[in-house]
Amino acid sequence: MKKFNSIFIILITSILLLSGCTNNINRTSETSDPFEKFNRKIFAFNKNIDEYVVKPISKKYVSTLPATARESINQHLYWMNLPQTIINSAFQLEIENTILASAKFMLNGLTLGFYDLDDKQTTINKKDFGSTLAKYNVPEGPFLMIPFLGPKNTRDFSGYILDKQNIANISSSKVDDIILLEVPINIVTVREKLSGTLESVYNSSDPYIKMRSFYIQNRRATVYNNEYNKFKDKEKDQAFEQLLQ
Amino acid sequence: MNIINLKIKKRIKRLNNYYSKTTVKKIFTIVFIAQIFFFFLSQEASADNLIKANKTVEQMLVEAKQHATNTVNLDPNKRTKKIRLLIEKYININFMARATTGAFWRKATSAQKDKYEIVLLNQIINTIEVHLNTLSTLSYKTISTELRGKKLVYVRGLIEDPKKLKPSVNILWKLAANKQKSFLILDLEIENVSLVSSHKAETISILRKNKGNFNALINQLDKPK
Repeated sequence: MKKFNSIFIILITSILLLSGCTNNINRTSETSDPFEKFNRKIFAFNKNIDEYVVKPISKKYVSTLPATARESINQHLYWMNLPQTIINSAFQLEIENTILASAKFMLNGLTLGFYDLDDKQTTINKKDFGSTLAKYNVPEGPFLMIPFLGPKNTRDFSGYILDKQNIANISSSKVDDIILLEVPINIVTVREKLSGTLESVYNSSDPYIKMRSFYIQNRRATVYNNEYNKFKDKEKDQAFEQLLQ
Repeated sequence: MNIINLKIKKRIKRLNNYYSKTTVKKIFTIVFIAQIFFFFLSQEASADNLIKANKTVEQMLVEAKQHATNTVNLDPNKRTKKIRLLIEKYININFMARATTGAFWRKATSAQKDKYEIVLLNQIINTIEVHLNTLSTLSYKTISTELRGKKLVYVRGLIEDPKKLKPSVNILWKLAANKQKSFLILDLEIENVSLVSSHKAETISILRKNKGNFNALINQLDKPK
């Protein structure tokens, strides 16, 4: 266990250092992708896994389970991820989000998250360690395509590992077993949610670039604060106005 | 002290007399009234633009829904033709073509530009055809409209599933009026992902790989997938 922890610390440190190797691109629209060749190979591998394994299972899942049952499973998976939001909202000093997420987690704990007793009335911003690192101005680093996980930038990938480590540390061995069972279900449900987007990615002339663009745009808009989004919108508006002249 | 006060009062009186006698006062009044008039006129015009832009989006969605339900049993080619008409009516293809190719647009010949516009239109048609049947089962509501700069109008909306089985999707339409003063869609952002930006990333990557060869871009986009 000690050996694993030291490897884990070294891995996280090296990832964070790697993300520091690039300029802080928080304020630019450029995408840093020095490993494009390698990333394209991983993307092709992931695409095959998706087409031959995940997609057929996801299709079967959709055709077998009724929509209400699938919705309950989605709710449960969302509930299982709320502690991650609670911890990271607290780190980011977003008190309102922390309180709301905690309240929702406790309330829906009565149904193990399978039924939303709040009836989707409360909007909670999903937080992860990647967004916490962004909050403290850690640069996003080069773009990576991770086997089985898909697109991530270096900062988000290190955040992802830390999030998983946190859950493993706070959970008992029984919960670990549940997580092991939930991982494949999570993949299938995520595939179902993203089926439309993935189809448009695969049908494009350069699916890798399209996937990268979708990921980066969506991630930047959700991770950064309103000030950054306003700045980006202004930049885009100016480009549009110039083209309209 | 009293003498100084009297002197000041006299000077003020003189100045008042001067302004009342000259035309300066009249000019100031006219300019002031004109400013108020133009301010209200511009406010009215921008409010009018917001309403027009919002109506354009809503009308397009109504027509798209009607199209989805009315053309289910139609021959695929005829269906595509009808969608093409709908897109040409509401989307500024020329703007999108320029926005998605960046600086390379200026280097292209007019024949290449025309061909690229056709290819882009076909791509939009294909995307819409895939999602049209799903769209007809969902409902749309406008959240806000906003004037951005001189010409741009943002219309923010939400696409919802009436059965609440699918999560709501945030939509942002970017519109601007053309020379005929009718509003056309320039870009669409779905959950913060801009269609123009993602398409631009794709086209620029292809163009850079082919050293700016526009024909190579057209051929690659036109390839059947």
